[in-house]
Amino acid sequence: MNGIPVFPLWLILILLALGWTAVIVQYGLIRRRLGSSRAIILSLLRLGVILLLLSFALNPSTTARKEHKMLSPIAILLDTSQSMGLATQSGKSSRLEDAKALLLDGEKSLLKSLTGRVEVKLYALGDSLRAFDGGELSLLKATRKQVDLSEALDRLRREYSLAILLSDGNLKWEKKNSAGIPLITIPVGDTGEYRDTLIKEVKTPPLAFRGREVRIDVTIKSYGYAGLTLPVLLKDGNRLLKAKNMTIKQTSDEITFPLSFIPEEVGQHHLSVSIPPQFGESLTSNNSVHFSLRVVRDKIRILMVSGNPSMSYRFMRMALKNDPSIDLLSFVILRTPSNVLNVPIQEQSLIPFPVETLFSKELKNFDLLLFDNFPYQFYFNPKVLEPVREFVRDGGSFSMIGGPNVFDSYAGTPVEDILPVRLTGRRDYHRDAPLEVKLTPVGANHPITRLSLDENENVRLWQEMPSLDGVNLLDPKSSGRVLLESGERASWPILTVGDYGKGRVLVLSTDDSWKWYMGMVAKGKGQWAYLRFIEKMVRWLTKDPSLDPVQIILPERAGTAGQETGVRITLRENDLSPNPKGVISLSVVNPDGLKIASDLKTTGPSGEYVGSFFPEKEGMHKIKVETPFGSVEESLAITRPGEDLDGAPQHERLRMISASTGGKFLSRGDDLLKEIEPYVGRDAYRFIEERSLQLWSRPYVLAILLLLLTTEWYLRRRWGMV
Amino acid sequence: MISRRGFLSFGFGLAVSLLLKGPRPLLCASLPHFFFAQLKYRGGEWDPNPQFVSAMIEELELRTSINGSKERRVTTLFDPDLFFYPLLYMAGRYEFDPFTPQEREILRRFLTHGGFLFAEDTVGAKGFGFDRAFRNEMKKILPDHELKGLPPDHSVYRSFYLIETIGGRQKVNPYLEGITLDNWTPVLYSQNDLSGAWSRDRYGKWVNECVPGGEPQRSSAFKAGINIIVYSFTSDYKKDLVHHPFIKRRQN
Repeated sequence: MNGIPVFPLWLILILLALGWTAVIVQYGLIRRRLGSSRAIILSLLRLGVILLLLSFALNPSTTARKEHKMLSPIAILLDTSQSMGLATQSGKSSRLEDAKALLLDGEKSLLKSLTGRVEVKLYALGDSLRAFDGGELSLLKATRKQVDLSEALDRLRREYSLAILLSDGNLKWEKKNSAGIPLITIPVGDTGEYRDTLIKEVKTPPLAFRGREVRIDVTIKSYGYAGLTLPVLLKDGNRLLKAKNMTIKQTSDEITFPLSFIPEEVGQHHLSVSIPPQFGESLTSNNSVHFSLRVVRDKIRILMVSGNPSMSYRFMRMALKNDPSIDLLSFVILRTPSNVLNVPIQEQSLIPFPVETLFSKELKNFDLLLFDNFPYQFYFNPKVLEPVREFVRDGGSFSMIGGPNVFDSYAGTPVEDILPVRLTGRRDYHRDAPLEVKLTPVGANHPITRLSLDENENVRLWQEMPSLDGVNLLDPKSSGRVLLESGERASWPILTVGDYGKGRVLVLSTDDSWKWYMGMVAKGKGQWAYLRFIEKMVRWLTKDPSLDPVQIILPERAGTAGQETGVRITLRENDLSPNPKGVISLSVVNPDGLKIASDLKTTGPSGEYVGSFFPEKEGMHKIKVETPFGSVEESLAITRPGEDLDGAPQHERLRMISASTGGKFLSRGDDLLKEIEPYVGRDAYRFIEERSLQLWSRPYVLAILLLLLTTEWYLRRRWGMV
Repeated sequence: MISRRGFLSFGFGLAVSLLLKGPRPLLCASLPHFFFAQLKYRGGEWDPNPQFVSAMIEELELRTSINGSKERRVTTLFDPDLFFYPLLYMAGRYEFDPFTPQEREILRRFLTHGGFLFAEDTVGAKGFGFDRAFRNEMKKILPDHELKGLPPDHSVYRSFYLIETIGGRQKVNPYLEGITLDNWTPVLYSQNDLSGAWSRDRYGKWVNECVPGGEPQRSSAFKAGINIIVYSFTSDYKKDLVHHPFIKRRQN
């Protein structure tokens, strides 16, 4: 009993004393009329009433304790990842619909039964872990991405003691120490009936080298096609590079094999590996994989033949040797047939000039043939130059450096055809007053002569270059593009470029270009301009993509429609200015020719950007980057979703996952409610409810009071007191 | 007015030079690619062998495809054309005045950016005179690099002739010394007085006798001269792999 008295205690005691006194007085009065026994009865009844009323003033109360048992809420996860959208073998519905039916169907459905016993919350496990109401269940659709199940359970463990997952097992799962909640898995999809052939993996090297075999490791997986022989095709765009037949030996088989080919052209190649769709396949989007492969040169191989030892040779050799991407083989004619040797061969370091081997056999192994003031007529007849013309026509590069011994002698030879300048057959070498060089309008923006990204700075740079003493006075052909010309009196072309067949040709009609090196050093401006000029000259001639000031680096794997696709963009800092000036923009055009939204952000290093866009359609997307100093365009294949999807139900994986969490793997035939029951009650928690009851508010107290008063009244009436 | 003696001397010299002149190379007849630019410095004696050019250029043109000029250019370190000279030649007998800091800076820039210097102590006195002054200057100009004997497989010993020993008017060192930066040796130094062995007067007579080896030693000096000039144009060309089997076979 406890409670706070309504009146102060002293008042209650006074009232008690008064009541007691009144009862004694009453007893005395009644005894005289009814006798002692009857007086005692009536007095006790009155005393009872007084005591009862006074007890109200003490505010008596009782505390009731009641123990309660609470069941923890349960999370039901419904896998909505891509494979859950696959049709079941009956073809009537998807795995996701199957899972929904499992939850909802029947008079006593699993969801209803669980909801009746315990608090249940539904979650969709797709793009993200998303809670949803029961009414939304029928609207759920499979998504393209999936979150990591282990991360999802990590999030849920604070609120739930148990999770139930309905899935086909194609989930991301990173095995962790089991500190989370137990997971009960209920499989959907039929492992036995599933039939599919897919390209599971394509492993490519990060870079391939032109002319060298590239090995691509392909892994094919199949379900339900034992004994089938499949043609596997490797294509570059629509061009077939390699085909190979593979035989599937077992019902569930995985085969890894190499596909090799030799890339012939540098640049970004859009390759694909594919297998044909088979009858009864559950999924055909995974029968092909698209990917990009960047093909570069291993080294630019240059064959240089110099007519005599010279400053031109030494500085050009130094520039070429300093470039680690160049493999230089040079021959310098140290003595001519008219020179007289005064020592036996054992005392000479001279080696034979292997004309036949070089021009008939080995030339195709080089990227660039460079004649430096080389008078061929003393060493071989003009027919030997025929392979040079073929070499250029087939894609090789040729460059001729001027000097007193050349050009006029090449008139009427196959080389004359490929040069971008006209040969007269007359002596064309001029060595008189030095000639200044200046950029032509074409040269101002040509990659070879654009040594600085800033146009004005570039013009200034060429104006500062030392004058040239020795120049071959030539006329450009109409097909030739003059990049540098003499700046005084008549304009003679100094640097002329052109194309012949698939190859590129360059004529530098001076043997004094080395003065651009030493002259700038003399001015205290360093040798970089000459070195860059030679580097750019070589790279332009050999069509090296690295020459481009702007480069788009595509992702290794093709993009997927509906998913964000990213590309890297680098601006090559080609001058001494710390940052490229101007604005860079990115545009993406879809296969229908429509421009789609794209975003461009800078990354940490200067000149590096990341572009992103959301392709909605499959097919080739054109990505164009424009800058004030040039633009570049690349194509990126966008494939339909599911290219890399292995949709086979992975029930064993579900079993493993549930076991690792301390949960259980249930099969469809199990009594699901019964199996779940032990887990539902296991983590119930208890609490004791305390309730305080004030006695005066109880009805039976009033009844006792009324009973006492009624009894007293009845007895008084019977005994003649009323 | 020309004297009788001068007239005779000129006529005789012309006749001898025409007689001694070898067959001119047909190929590079147009314009010179090579000439000696000789450094004139303060103090000492900057031009101990004023007649060294002619015979050397003739030999160069006779044996190699290099087109040379007999015109010697006398220069200083302040010459604006210094950086365009294919070979800067410096010779002396005696100690010379130290270079100024500005001269050292120019020479350092020249040597570290592709220039080439061939220097000679024509007396051959180690640690004295020109030798001492030159070594001191090199230490100041290229303090991190040592002037030292070049190994037998250095490109300068095989740039044209396969040379095992260096001749000269005298035979102080059978080797050349040099300062090497990476794969390039921009400074070559000899104390054998190569230019003394090359010197020929206008009558075609050798100015100096070569001791102790006589004419073979002179011939060796010319070979060294040709190798030095070819090296200045071809750098380490003879180190390319394509040359290895030939050179190895001939050296065995």
